[in-house]
Amino acid sequence: MNGQTDTSVPGQTIAVAAEALYLANLLLLPGFSFALLLWLFFRHRRNGAPLARCHLRQTVAASLWAGVILVIVNVLILATGGYQSANVWMYVIIYFTVGHSSLILLGMVGLAKAMAGRAWRYPIIGMQCDE
Amino acid sequence: MQFQSQAVAKPYFIAAIGLFIGQILFGLIIGTQYVIGDFLFPEIPFNVARMVHTNLLIVWLLFGFMGAAYYLVPEEAERELFSPKLAIALFWIFLVAGALTIVGYLAVPYATLAAVTGNDLLPTMGREFLEQPTITKMGIVVVALAFLFNIGMTIIAGRKTVINIVLLTGLTGLAVLFLFSFYNPINLVLDKMFWWWVVHLWVEGVWELIMGAILAFVLIRLTGVDREVIEKWLYVIIAMALITGIIGTGHHYYWIGTPEYWQWWGSIFSALEPIPFFMMTVFAFTMVNRRRKEHPNKAATLWALGTAVMAFLGAGVWGFLHTLAPVNFYTHGSQITAAHGHMAFYGAYVLVVITMISYAWPHLQHNAPASNGRAQLLEMWSFWLMTVSIVFITLFLTGAGILQVYLQRVSDTPLPFMVVQDKIALFYWLRLWTGVIFFVGLCLYVYSFFAKGKETLASS
Repeated sequence: MNGQTDTSVPGQTIAVAAEALYLANLLLLPGFSFALLLWLFFRHRRNGAPLARCHLRQTVAASLWAGVILVIVNVLILATGGYQSANVWMYVIIYFTVGHSSLILLGMVGLAKAMAGRAWRYPIIGMQCDE
Repeated sequence: MQFQSQAVAKPYFIAAIGLFIGQILFGLIIGTQYVIGDFLFPEIPFNVARMVHTNLLIVWLLFGFMGAAYYLVPEEAERELFSPKLAIALFWIFLVAGALTIVGYLAVPYATLAAVTGNDLLPTMGREFLEQPTITKMGIVVVALAFLFNIGMTIIAGRKTVINIVLLTGLTGLAVLFLFSFYNPINLVLDKMFWWWVVHLWVEGVWELIMGAILAFVLIRLTGVDREVIEKWLYVIIAMALITGIIGTGHHYYWIGTPEYWQWWGSIFSALEPIPFFMMTVFAFTMVNRRRKEHPNKAATLWALGTAVMAFLGAGVWGFLHTLAPVNFYTHGSQITAAHGHMAFYGAYVLVVITMISYAWPHLQHNAPASNGRAQLLEMWSFWLMTVSIVFITLFLTGAGILQVYLQRVSDTPLPFMVVQDKIALFYWLRLWTGVIFFVGLCLYVYSFFAKGKETLASS
Protein backbone atom coordinates (compact mmCIF):
# COMPACT_ATOMS: atom_id res chain seq x y z
CA MET A 1 0.00 0.00 0.00
CA ASN A 2 2.95 2.26 0.49
CA GLY A 3 3.95 3.63 -2.87
CA GLN A 4 6.35 6.23 -1.53
CA THR A 5 8.62 4.27 0.78
CA ASP A 6 11.72 5.59 -0.90
CA THR A 7 11.36 8.65 1.28
CA SER A 8 10.88 6.67 4.51
CA VAL A 9 12.17 8.27 7.71
CA PRO A 10 14.44 6.37 10.18
CA GLY A 11 12.29 4.57 12.73
CA GLN A 12 9.18 4.66 10.56
CA THR A 13 8.68 0.90 10.55
CA ILE A 14 8.75 0.73 14.32
CA ALA A 15 6.47 3.78 14.57
CA VAL A 16 3.93 2.09 12.29
CA ALA A 17 4.25 -1.16 14.24
CA ALA A 18 3.67 0.68 17.52
CA GLU A 19 0.49 2.33 16.24
CA ALA A 20 -0.72 -0.93 14.69
CA LEU A 21 -0.14 -2.84 17.96
CA TYR A 22 -1.92 -0.10 19.90
CA LEU A 23 -4.93 -0.42 17.61
CA ALA A 24 -4.77 -4.22 17.72
CA ASN A 25 -4.83 -4.02 21.52
CA LEU A 26 -8.04 -1.99 21.34
CA LEU A 27 -9.72 -3.89 18.52
CA LEU A 28 -8.45 -7.41 17.97
CA LEU A 29 -6.09 -8.98 20.48
CA PRO A 30 -6.20 -7.14 23.79
CA GLY A 31 -3.40 -8.06 26.17
CA PHE A 32 -1.22 -9.95 23.70
CA SER A 33 -0.84 -6.87 21.47
CA PHE A 34 -0.12 -4.72 24.50
CA ALA A 35 2.59 -7.15 25.62
CA LEU A 36 4.21 -6.91 22.19
CA LEU A 37 3.94 -3.13 22.30
CA LEU A 38 5.64 -3.05 25.71
CA TRP A 39 8.41 -5.31 24.42
CA LEU A 40 8.93 -2.97 21.47
CA PHE A 41 8.88 0.03 23.79
CA PHE A 42 11.50 -1.31 26.18
CA ARG A 43 13.68 -2.41 23.28
CA HIS A 44 13.74 0.98 21.57
CA ARG A 45 13.00 3.52 24.27
CA ARG A 46 16.66 4.60 24.61
CA ASN A 47 18.34 3.85 21.32
CA GLY A 48 15.51 4.00 18.83
CA ALA A 49 15.12 6.70 16.20
CA PRO A 50 13.26 9.82 17.42
CA LEU A 51 10.21 9.02 15.28
CA ALA A 52 9.98 5.49 16.68
CA ARG A 53 10.44 6.69 20.25
CA CYS A 54 7.78 9.33 19.80
CA HIS A 55 5.15 6.90 18.55
CA LEU A 56 6.11 4.26 21.11
CA ARG A 57 5.67 6.75 23.94
CA GLN A 58 2.26 7.87 22.68
CA THR A 59 0.93 4.38 22.20
CA VAL A 60 2.17 3.01 25.52
CA ALA A 61 0.79 6.04 27.38
CA ALA A 62 -2.56 5.80 25.60
CA SER A 63 -2.75 2.04 26.24
CA LEU A 64 -2.17 2.65 29.94
CA TRP A 65 -4.87 5.31 29.92
CA ALA A 66 -7.20 2.85 28.20
CA GLY A 67 -6.54 0.44 31.07
CA VAL A 68 -7.15 3.14 33.66
CA ILE A 69 -10.45 4.09 32.03
CA LEU A 70 -11.53 0.44 32.06
CA VAL A 71 -10.75 0.22 35.76
CA ILE A 72 -12.70 3.44 36.40
CA VAL A 73 -15.71 2.12 34.48
CA ASN A 74 -15.68 -1.12 36.48
CA VAL A 75 -15.30 0.71 39.78
CA LEU A 76 -18.25 2.94 38.85
CA ILE A 77 -20.35 -0.09 37.96
CA LEU A 78 -19.50 -1.81 41.24
CA ALA A 79 -20.11 1.37 43.22
CA THR A 80 -23.55 1.93 41.71
CA GLY A 81 -25.18 -1.44 42.10
CA GLY A 82 -22.91 -4.09 40.60
CA TYR A 83 -22.93 -5.90 37.28
CA GLN A 84 -26.61 -6.86 37.49
CA SER A 85 -27.87 -3.30 37.86
CA ALA A 86 -29.34 -1.11 35.13
CA ASN A 87 -26.36 1.24 35.34
CA VAL A 88 -24.12 -1.32 33.62
CA TRP A 89 -25.73 -0.53 30.28
CA MET A 90 -25.17 3.17 30.69
CA TYR A 91 -21.50 2.87 31.68
CA VAL A 92 -20.64 0.24 29.09
CA ILE A 93 -22.28 2.06 26.19
CA ILE A 94 -20.92 5.45 27.16
CA TYR A 95 -17.46 3.91 27.54
CA PHE A 96 -17.72 2.18 24.17
CA THR A 97 -19.11 5.09 22.20
CA VAL A 98 -17.14 7.91 23.78
CA GLY A 99 -14.04 6.45 25.45
CA HIS A 100 -13.08 3.44 23.37
CA SER A 101 -13.91 5.04 20.03
CA SER A 102 -11.92 8.19 20.92
CA LEU A 103 -8.90 6.04 21.73
CA ILE A 104 -9.32 4.26 18.38
CA LEU A 105 -9.55 7.57 16.55
CA LEU A 106 -6.31 8.71 18.19
CA GLY A 107 -4.68 5.49 17.02
CA MET A 108 -5.93 5.95 13.47
CA VAL A 109 -4.56 9.46 13.24
CA GLY A 110 -1.33 8.24 14.86
CA LEU A 111 -1.06 5.42 12.33
CA ALA A 112 -1.59 7.85 9.47
CA LYS A 113 1.11 10.13 10.90
CA ALA A 114 3.49 7.21 11.34
CA MET A 115 2.87 6.03 7.78
CA ALA A 116 3.67 9.53 6.58
CA GLY A 117 6.89 9.53 8.64
CA ARG A 118 5.71 12.25 11.00
CA ALA A 119 5.91 12.55 14.76
CA TRP A 120 2.67 13.25 16.58
CA ARG A 121 1.76 13.75 20.18
CA TYR A 122 -1.65 12.39 21.22
CA PRO A 123 -3.76 15.27 22.52
CA ILE A 124 -4.26 15.36 26.32
CA ILE A 125 -3.10 11.80 27.08
CA GLY A 126 0.08 11.76 24.96
CA MET A 127 3.66 12.26 26.12
CA GLN A 128 6.20 14.79 24.95
CA CYS A 129 8.25 13.75 21.89
CA ASP A 130 11.99 14.42 21.57
CA GLU A 131 12.79 17.62 19.75
CA MET B 1 -12.93 23.64 -14.64
CA GLN B 2 -11.19 21.48 -17.22
CA PHE B 3 -14.28 20.59 -19.28
CA GLN B 4 -17.27 22.77 -20.06
CA SER B 5 -19.73 19.90 -19.63
CA GLN B 6 -18.75 19.60 -15.96
CA ALA B 7 -21.01 22.63 -15.47
CA VAL B 8 -24.08 20.36 -15.57
CA ALA B 9 -23.17 19.35 -12.02
CA LYS B 10 -24.13 22.81 -10.79
CA PRO B 11 -27.95 22.52 -10.86
CA TYR B 12 -27.68 19.08 -9.27
CA PHE B 13 -25.68 20.51 -6.37
CA ILE B 14 -28.12 23.42 -5.95
CA ALA B 15 -31.09 21.05 -5.91
CA ALA B 16 -29.30 18.76 -3.45
CA ILE B 17 -28.72 21.60 -0.99
CA GLY B 18 -32.29 22.88 -1.44
CA LEU B 19 -33.72 19.46 -0.64
CA PHE B 20 -31.27 19.07 2.26
CA ILE B 21 -32.81 22.19 3.81
CA GLY B 22 -36.26 20.67 3.32
CA GLN B 23 -35.12 17.43 4.94
CA ILE B 24 -33.84 19.21 8.03
CA LEU B 25 -37.01 21.33 8.33
CA PHE B 26 -39.10 18.18 8.36
CA GLY B 27 -36.64 16.66 10.82
CA LEU B 28 -37.34 19.59 13.13
CA ILE B 29 -41.07 19.08 12.68
CA ILE B 30 -40.92 15.42 13.69
CA GLY B 31 -38.46 16.24 16.46
CA THR B 32 -41.09 18.64 17.83
CA GLN B 33 -43.86 16.10 17.37
CA TYR B 34 -41.91 13.67 19.54
CA VAL B 35 -42.43 16.03 22.48
CA ILE B 36 -45.57 17.96 21.43
CA GLY B 37 -47.63 15.18 19.94
CA ASP B 38 -50.25 17.32 18.17
CA PHE B 39 -47.84 19.84 16.69
CA LEU B 40 -49.07 20.67 13.15
CA PHE B 41 -51.69 17.94 13.44
CA PRO B 42 -53.75 17.14 11.40
CA GLU B 43 -52.09 19.16 8.62
CA ILE B 44 -48.79 17.25 8.77
CA PRO B 45 -49.13 13.99 10.72
CA PHE B 46 -45.99 12.40 12.17
CA ASN B 47 -45.95 9.47 9.76
CA VAL B 48 -46.13 11.80 6.76
CA ALA B 49 -43.47 14.19 8.09
CA ARG B 50 -41.16 11.25 8.81
CA MET B 51 -41.71 9.88 5.31
CA VAL B 52 -40.87 13.27 3.80
CA HIS B 53 -37.78 13.55 6.06
CA THR B 54 -36.34 10.21 4.96
CA ASN B 55 -37.40 10.44 1.31
CA LEU B 56 -35.90 13.90 0.95
CA LEU B 57 -32.66 12.54 2.37
CA ILE B 58 -32.51 9.78 -0.23
CA VAL B 59 -33.46 12.09 -3.10
CA TRP B 60 -31.01 14.86 -2.23
CA LEU B 61 -28.19 12.37 -1.79
CA LEU B 62 -29.02 10.92 -5.21
CA PHE B 63 -28.90 14.44 -6.65
CA GLY B 64 -25.56 14.88 -4.92
CA PHE B 65 -24.18 11.59 -6.27
CA MET B 66 -25.32 12.45 -9.79
CA GLY B 67 -23.85 15.93 -9.59
CA ALA B 68 -20.61 14.46 -8.25
CA ALA B 69 -20.51 11.96 -11.12
CA TYR B 70 -21.12 14.64 -13.73
CA TYR B 71 -18.28 16.70 -12.30
CA LEU B 72 -15.87 13.84 -11.66
CA VAL B 73 -16.27 11.61 -14.70
CA PRO B 74 -15.28 14.09 -17.45
CA GLU B 75 -12.15 15.03 -15.52
CA GLU B 76 -11.19 11.41 -14.90
CA ALA B 77 -12.10 10.30 -18.44
CA GLU B 78 -10.35 13.36 -19.89
CA ARG B 79 -13.18 14.17 -22.26
CA GLU B 80 -16.44 16.07 -22.35
CA LEU B 81 -19.57 14.43 -21.02
CA PHE B 82 -21.29 12.26 -23.65
CA SER B 83 -24.47 14.36 -23.58
CA PRO B 84 -24.78 17.45 -21.37
CA LYS B 85 -28.28 18.07 -22.75
CA LEU B 86 -29.43 14.66 -21.56
CA ALA B 87 -27.97 15.42 -18.12
CA ILE B 88 -29.94 18.68 -17.91
CA ALA B 89 -33.13 17.03 -19.16
CA LEU B 90 -32.78 14.28 -16.55
CA PHE B 91 -32.23 16.89 -13.88
CA TRP B 92 -35.58 18.53 -14.56
CA ILE B 93 -37.41 15.22 -14.90
CA PHE B 94 -36.01 13.99 -11.57
CA LEU B 95 -36.63 17.28 -9.81
CA VAL B 96 -40.23 17.63 -11.00
CA ALA B 97 -41.00 13.97 -10.25
CA GLY B 98 -39.45 14.28 -6.80
CA ALA B 99 -41.30 17.51 -6.04
CA LEU B 100 -44.63 16.09 -7.20
CA THR B 101 -44.09 13.03 -5.01
CA ILE B 102 -43.43 15.15 -1.93
CA VAL B 103 -46.46 17.34 -2.72
CA GLY B 104 -48.46 14.13 -3.08
CA TYR B 105 -47.33 12.93 0.37
CA LEU B 106 -48.36 16.23 1.92
CA ALA B 107 -51.51 17.02 -0.03
CA VAL B 108 -53.50 13.77 0.03
CA PRO B 109 -53.78 10.78 2.35
CA TYR B 110 -51.25 8.08 1.52
CA ALA B 111 -53.98 5.57 0.58
CA THR B 112 -55.45 8.09 -1.86
CA LEU B 113 -52.02 8.71 -3.35
CA ALA B 114 -51.63 4.96 -3.84
CA ALA B 115 -55.03 4.75 -5.51
CA VAL B 116 -54.59 7.66 -7.90
CA THR B 117 -51.10 6.59 -8.96
CA GLY B 118 -52.23 3.09 -9.89
CA ASN B 119 -50.53 1.16 -7.11
CA ASP B 120 -53.15 -1.60 -7.59
CA LEU B 121 -51.65 -2.49 -10.95
CA LEU B 122 -48.15 -3.07 -9.56
CA PRO B 123 -48.17 -2.72 -5.77
CA THR B 124 -44.84 -1.39 -4.50
CA MET B 125 -45.88 1.23 -1.95
CA GLY B 126 -46.18 1.16 1.83
CA ARG B 127 -42.69 0.07 2.78
CA GLU B 128 -40.33 2.24 4.80
CA PHE B 129 -38.01 4.36 2.60
CA LEU B 130 -39.67 2.89 -0.51
CA GLU B 131 -42.95 4.75 -0.05
CA GLN B 132 -42.71 6.42 -3.46
CA PRO B 133 -45.68 5.79 -5.80
CA THR B 134 -44.97 3.05 -8.34
CA ILE B 135 -45.01 5.59 -11.15
CA THR B 136 -42.30 7.61 -9.36
CA LYS B 137 -40.25 4.46 -8.93
CA MET B 138 -40.52 3.85 -12.67
CA GLY B 139 -39.39 7.41 -13.27
CA ILE B 140 -36.39 6.82 -11.00
CA VAL B 141 -35.48 3.73 -13.05
CA VAL B 142 -35.71 5.67 -16.31
CA VAL B 143 -33.61 8.52 -14.93
CA ALA B 144 -31.07 6.09 -13.48
CA LEU B 145 -30.72 4.17 -16.76
CA ALA B 146 -30.33 7.31 -18.85
CA PHE B 147 -27.86 8.69 -16.31
CA LEU B 148 -25.81 5.46 -16.42
CA PHE B 149 -25.88 5.54 -20.20
CA ASN B 150 -24.54 9.10 -20.20
CA ILE B 151 -21.83 8.40 -17.65
CA GLY B 152 -21.00 4.99 -19.13
CA MET B 153 -20.59 6.32 -22.66
CA THR B 154 -18.30 9.05 -21.37
CA ILE B 155 -16.10 6.53 -19.59
CA ILE B 156 -16.10 4.03 -22.45
CA ALA B 157 -14.94 6.70 -24.90
CA GLY B 158 -12.41 8.21 -22.51
CA ARG B 159 -9.68 7.30 -20.05
CA LYS B 160 -10.57 4.48 -17.69
CA THR B 161 -9.31 5.07 -14.18
CA VAL B 162 -9.89 3.06 -11.04
CA ILE B 163 -11.90 5.96 -9.67
CA ASN B 164 -14.39 6.24 -12.51
CA ILE B 165 -14.72 2.46 -12.83
CA VAL B 166 -15.42 2.11 -9.10
CA LEU B 167 -17.88 5.00 -9.31
CA LEU B 168 -19.62 3.45 -12.31
CA THR B 169 -19.78 0.08 -10.53
CA GLY B 170 -21.35 1.73 -7.49
CA LEU B 171 -23.87 3.67 -9.54
CA THR B 172 -24.78 0.59 -11.58
CA GLY B 173 -25.26 -1.38 -8.37
CA LEU B 174 -27.45 1.43 -7.06
CA ALA B 175 -29.69 1.23 -10.14
CA VAL B 176 -29.83 -2.57 -10.29
CA LEU B 177 -30.58 -3.05 -6.60
CA PHE B 178 -33.37 -0.47 -6.78
CA LEU B 179 -35.20 -2.90 -9.09
CA PHE B 180 -35.92 -5.04 -6.01
CA SER B 181 -38.26 -2.27 -4.87
CA PHE B 182 -40.64 -3.57 -7.54
CA TYR B 183 -40.60 -7.06 -6.03
CA ASN B 184 -43.26 -7.05 -3.37
CA PRO B 185 -44.13 -10.63 -2.36
CA ILE B 186 -47.20 -11.32 -0.26
CA ASN B 187 -45.13 -13.38 2.19
CA LEU B 188 -43.99 -10.84 4.77
CA VAL B 189 -40.69 -12.61 5.46
CA LEU B 190 -39.75 -12.61 1.78
CA ASP B 191 -40.93 -9.03 1.48
CA LYS B 192 -38.60 -7.92 4.30
CA MET B 193 -35.73 -10.02 2.99
CA PHE B 194 -35.77 -8.40 -0.41
CA TRP B 195 -36.61 -4.96 0.96
CA TRP B 196 -33.21 -5.07 2.64
CA TRP B 197 -31.61 -5.86 -0.72
CA VAL B 198 -32.47 -2.30 -1.64
CA VAL B 199 -32.02 -0.55 1.68
CA HIS B 200 -29.03 -2.38 3.18
CA LEU B 201 -27.17 -3.19 -0.03
CA TRP B 202 -27.44 0.46 -0.98
CA VAL B 203 -26.09 2.07 2.15
CA GLU B 204 -23.77 -0.71 3.35
CA GLY B 205 -22.80 -1.90 -0.12
CA VAL B 206 -22.77 0.01 -3.36
CA TRP B 207 -23.04 3.50 -1.84
CA GLU B 208 -19.73 2.83 -0.12
CA LEU B 209 -18.18 2.38 -3.56
CA ILE B 210 -19.56 5.75 -4.63
CA MET B 211 -18.32 7.31 -1.40
CA GLY B 212 -14.85 5.79 -1.81
CA ALA B 213 -14.56 6.97 -5.41
CA ILE B 214 -15.62 10.54 -4.58
CA LEU B 215 -13.28 10.70 -1.60
CA ALA B 216 -10.38 9.33 -3.64
CA PHE B 217 -11.02 11.84 -6.45
CA VAL B 218 -11.10 14.80 -4.07
CA LEU B 219 -8.03 13.62 -2.14
CA ILE B 220 -5.97 13.25 -5.31
CA ARG B 221 -6.82 16.85 -6.23
CA LEU B 222 -6.32 18.27 -2.76
CA THR B 223 -3.13 16.49 -1.78
CA GLY B 224 -1.29 15.81 -5.03
CA VAL B 225 -0.46 12.31 -3.77
CA ASP B 226 0.29 9.80 -6.55
CA ARG B 227 -2.81 8.34 -8.11
CA GLU B 228 -1.35 4.81 -7.83
CA VAL B 229 -1.14 5.08 -4.05
CA ILE B 230 -4.71 6.29 -3.70
CA GLU B 231 -6.01 3.71 -6.15
CA LYS B 232 -4.44 0.85 -4.19
CA TRP B 233 -6.15 2.09 -1.04
CA LEU B 234 -9.42 2.36 -2.93
CA TYR B 235 -9.18 -1.24 -4.16
CA VAL B 236 -8.70 -2.60 -0.64
CA ILE B 237 -11.42 -0.37 0.84
CA ILE B 238 -14.08 -1.34 -1.67
CA ALA B 239 -13.10 -5.01 -1.44
CA MET B 240 -13.58 -4.89 2.33
CA ALA B 241 -16.83 -2.94 1.94
CA LEU B 242 -18.29 -5.62 -0.32
CA ILE B 243 -16.87 -8.64 1.54
CA THR B 244 -18.34 -7.46 4.83
CA GLY B 245 -21.39 -5.58 3.59
CA ILE B 246 -23.02 -8.18 1.33
CA ILE B 247 -23.25 -11.03 3.84
CA GLY B 248 -23.58 -8.41 6.58
CA THR B 249 -27.14 -8.01 5.26
CA GLY B 250 -27.75 -10.89 7.65
CA HIS B 251 -27.87 -8.49 10.59
CA HIS B 252 -31.32 -7.51 9.34
CA TYR B 253 -32.47 -11.15 9.19
CA TYR B 254 -32.28 -11.94 12.89
CA TRP B 255 -35.90 -11.63 13.91
CA ILE B 256 -37.95 -11.57 10.72
CA GLY B 257 -38.66 -15.27 10.29
CA THR B 258 -35.49 -16.35 8.51
CA PRO B 259 -33.40 -19.38 9.62
CA GLU B 260 -31.32 -19.03 12.79
CA TYR B 261 -27.99 -19.37 11.00
CA TRP B 262 -28.43 -15.77 9.93
CA GLN B 263 -27.71 -14.77 13.54
CA TRP B 264 -24.20 -16.15 13.12
CA TRP B 265 -23.60 -14.95 9.57
CA GLY B 266 -25.06 -11.55 10.30
CA SER B 267 -23.15 -11.11 13.54
CA ILE B 268 -19.76 -12.19 12.18
CA PHE B 269 -19.81 -10.32 8.89
CA SER B 270 -21.43 -7.16 10.15
CA ALA B 271 -18.97 -7.07 13.05
CA LEU B 272 -16.36 -6.70 10.30
CA GLU B 273 -18.23 -3.86 8.58
CA PRO B 274 -16.33 -1.12 10.47
CA ILE B 275 -13.13 -2.26 8.72
CA PRO B 276 -13.64 -0.34 5.45
CA PHE B 277 -14.58 2.78 7.42
CA PHE B 278 -11.53 2.32 9.63
CA MET B 279 -9.38 2.06 6.52
CA MET B 280 -11.04 5.08 4.97
CA THR B 281 -10.09 7.18 7.98
CA VAL B 282 -6.47 6.03 7.97
CA PHE B 283 -6.45 6.53 4.19
CA ALA B 284 -7.75 10.10 4.34
CA PHE B 285 -5.37 11.17 7.11
CA THR B 286 -2.42 9.42 5.46
CA MET B 287 -3.05 11.19 2.16
CA VAL B 288 -3.36 14.57 3.83
CA ASN B 289 -0.17 13.94 5.83
CA ARG B 290 1.69 12.97 2.68
CA ARG B 291 0.39 15.87 0.64
CA ARG B 292 2.76 17.29 -1.93
CA LYS B 293 1.09 20.66 -2.17
CA GLU B 294 -0.86 23.10 -0.07
CA HIS B 295 -4.22 23.33 -1.75
CA PRO B 296 -5.96 26.66 -1.09
CA ASN B 297 -9.31 24.96 -0.50
CA LYS B 298 -8.88 24.24 3.22
CA ALA B 299 -12.62 23.81 3.71
CA ALA B 300 -12.78 20.88 1.28
CA THR B 301 -9.94 19.16 3.15
CA LEU B 302 -11.84 19.58 6.41
CA TRP B 303 -15.02 18.13 4.91
CA ALA B 304 -13.02 15.19 3.49
CA LEU B 305 -11.37 14.35 6.80
CA GLY B 306 -14.69 14.87 8.57
CA THR B 307 -16.33 12.39 6.20
CA ALA B 308 -13.88 9.67 7.10
CA VAL B 309 -14.01 10.23 10.86
CA MET B 310 -17.76 10.65 11.12
CA ALA B 311 -18.44 7.69 8.83
CA PHE B 312 -16.24 5.54 11.04
CA LEU B 313 -18.03 6.71 14.18
CA GLY B 314 -21.57 6.62 12.79
CA ALA B 315 -21.47 3.59 10.54
CA GLY B 316 -18.60 1.76 12.23
CA VAL B 317 -18.83 2.31 15.98
CA TRP B 318 -22.56 2.94 16.35
CA GLY B 319 -23.26 0.17 13.84
CA PHE B 320 -21.14 -2.33 15.74
CA LEU B 321 -22.80 -1.24 18.97
CA HIS B 322 -26.04 -3.06 18.16
CA THR B 323 -25.12 -5.42 15.37
CA LEU B 324 -24.38 -8.62 17.31
CA ALA B 325 -27.48 -10.82 17.49
CA PRO B 326 -27.56 -11.18 21.32
CA VAL B 327 -27.39 -7.38 21.68
CA ASN B 328 -29.77 -6.70 18.82
CA PHE B 329 -32.31 -8.98 20.50
CA TYR B 330 -32.84 -6.14 22.96
CA THR B 331 -31.97 -3.04 20.93
CA HIS B 332 -33.79 -3.84 17.68
CA GLY B 333 -35.83 -0.92 16.38
CA SER B 334 -35.13 1.24 19.41
CA GLN B 335 -33.72 4.76 19.59
CA ILE B 336 -30.26 3.14 19.41
CA THR B 337 -31.08 2.38 15.77
CA ALA B 338 -32.11 6.00 15.25
CA ALA B 339 -28.84 7.18 16.81
CA HIS B 340 -26.84 4.97 14.44
CA GLY B 341 -28.91 6.03 11.43
CA HIS B 342 -28.45 9.74 12.05
CA MET B 343 -24.71 9.69 12.51
CA ALA B 344 -24.01 7.10 9.82
CA PHE B 345 -25.96 8.93 7.11
CA TYR B 346 -24.47 12.25 8.09
CA GLY B 347 -20.92 10.95 8.30
CA ALA B 348 -20.81 8.70 5.31
CA TYR B 349 -23.09 10.31 2.75
CA VAL B 350 -24.08 13.85 3.70
CA LEU B 351 -20.47 14.79 4.30
CA VAL B 352 -19.09 13.11 1.19
CA VAL B 353 -21.57 14.99 -1.00
CA ILE B 354 -20.70 18.27 0.73
CA THR B 355 -17.00 17.44 0.32
CA MET B 356 -17.52 17.14 -3.41
CA ILE B 357 -19.59 20.32 -3.57
CA SER B 358 -17.00 22.17 -1.51
CA TYR B 359 -14.24 21.06 -3.86
CA ALA B 360 -16.14 21.56 -7.13
CA TRP B 361 -18.14 24.71 -6.41
CA PRO B 362 -15.27 27.24 -6.66
CA HIS B 363 -14.36 25.73 -10.02
CA LEU B 364 -17.95 25.80 -11.21
CA GLN B 365 -18.84 29.24 -9.91
CA HIS B 366 -15.63 31.26 -10.02
CA ASN B 367 -13.32 29.13 -12.19
CA ALA B 368 -10.99 29.19 -9.20
CA PRO B 369 -9.54 26.41 -7.03
CA ALA B 370 -11.00 27.80 -3.82
CA SER B 371 -13.59 30.19 -2.52
CA ASN B 372 -12.50 33.38 -0.80
CA GLY B 373 -11.22 33.18 2.76
CA ARG B 374 -14.41 34.42 4.39
CA ALA B 375 -16.55 31.90 2.53
CA GLN B 376 -14.21 29.11 3.60
CA LEU B 377 -14.27 30.31 7.18
CA LEU B 378 -18.07 30.22 7.16
CA GLU B 379 -17.98 26.75 5.63
CA MET B 380 -15.68 25.53 8.36
CA TRP B 381 -17.93 27.03 11.03
CA SER B 382 -20.89 25.29 9.44
CA PHE B 383 -18.93 22.03 9.44
CA TRP B 384 -18.27 22.24 13.16
CA LEU B 385 -21.78 23.38 14.03
CA MET B 386 -23.42 20.57 12.07
CA THR B 387 -20.90 17.93 13.12
CA VAL B 388 -20.93 18.73 16.82
CA SER B 389 -24.75 18.90 16.65
CA ILE B 390 -25.03 15.49 15.03
CA VAL B 391 -22.65 14.04 17.62
CA PHE B 392 -24.90 15.33 20.38
CA ILE B 393 -28.07 14.26 18.58
CA THR B 394 -26.55 10.80 18.39
CA LEU B 395 -25.52 10.80 22.04
CA PHE B 396 -28.96 11.97 23.16
CA LEU B 397 -30.67 9.34 21.06
CA THR B 398 -28.26 6.74 22.42
CA GLY B 399 -29.17 7.82 25.96
CA ALA B 400 -32.85 7.62 25.05
CA GLY B 401 -32.23 4.19 23.51
CA ILE B 402 -30.46 2.80 26.56
CA LEU B 403 -33.31 3.88 28.81
CA GLN B 404 -35.93 2.71 26.36
CA VAL B 405 -34.39 -0.74 26.02
CA TYR B 406 -34.00 -1.14 29.76
CA LEU B 407 -37.44 0.10 30.80
CA GLN B 408 -39.30 -1.59 27.98
CA ARG B 409 -37.39 -4.82 27.37
CA VAL B 410 -34.82 -5.70 30.04
CA SER B 411 -36.50 -4.69 33.28
CA ASP B 412 -38.28 -7.35 35.37
CA THR B 413 -41.35 -5.11 35.20
CA PRO B 414 -41.35 -3.87 31.60
CA LEU B 415 -43.33 -0.73 30.88
CA PRO B 416 -45.56 -0.09 27.84
CA PHE B 417 -44.08 1.71 24.82
CA MET B 418 -45.87 5.04 25.30
CA VAL B 419 -45.15 5.15 29.04
CA VAL B 420 -41.46 4.74 28.23
CA GLN B 421 -41.70 7.46 25.58
CA ASP B 422 -42.90 9.86 28.27
CA LYS B 423 -40.04 8.91 30.54
CA ILE B 424 -37.39 9.59 27.92
CA ALA B 425 -38.89 12.89 26.76
CA LEU B 426 -35.99 14.85 28.22
CA PHE B 427 -33.67 13.26 25.67
CA TYR B 428 -36.09 14.18 22.88
CA TRP B 429 -36.13 17.81 24.02
CA LEU B 430 -32.33 17.86 24.04
CA ARG B 431 -32.27 16.28 20.60
CA LEU B 432 -34.72 18.88 19.29
CA TRP B 433 -32.67 21.87 20.45
CA THR B 434 -29.51 20.30 19.11
CA GLY B 435 -31.36 19.87 15.82
CA VAL B 436 -32.06 23.60 15.81
CA ILE B 437 -28.32 24.24 16.13
CA PHE B 438 -27.73 21.81 13.27
CA PHE B 439 -30.15 23.88 11.19
CA VAL B 440 -28.26 27.07 12.09
CA GLY B 441 -25.09 25.35 10.83
CA LEU B 442 -26.85 24.45 7.61
CA CYS B 443 -28.04 28.05 7.14
CA LEU B 444 -24.46 29.21 7.65
CA TYR B 445 -23.34 26.70 5.04
CA VAL B 446 -25.85 28.09 2.53
CA TYR B 447 -24.82 31.64 3.40
CA SER B 448 -21.17 30.77 2.69
CA PHE B 449 -22.03 30.47 -1.00
CA PHE B 450 -22.91 34.17 -1.08
CA ALA B 451 -20.15 35.48 1.18
CA LYS B 452 -17.92 38.05 -0.46
CA GLY B 453 -14.23 38.19 0.46
CA LYS B 454 -11.63 40.91 0.16
CA GLU B 455 -9.00 38.99 -1.73
CA THR B 456 -9.14 38.40 -5.45
CA LEU B 457 -9.78 34.83 -6.48
CA ALA B 458 -6.90 33.11 -8.18
CA SER B 459 -7.81 31.70 -11.55
CA SER B 460 -7.60 27.95 -11.93
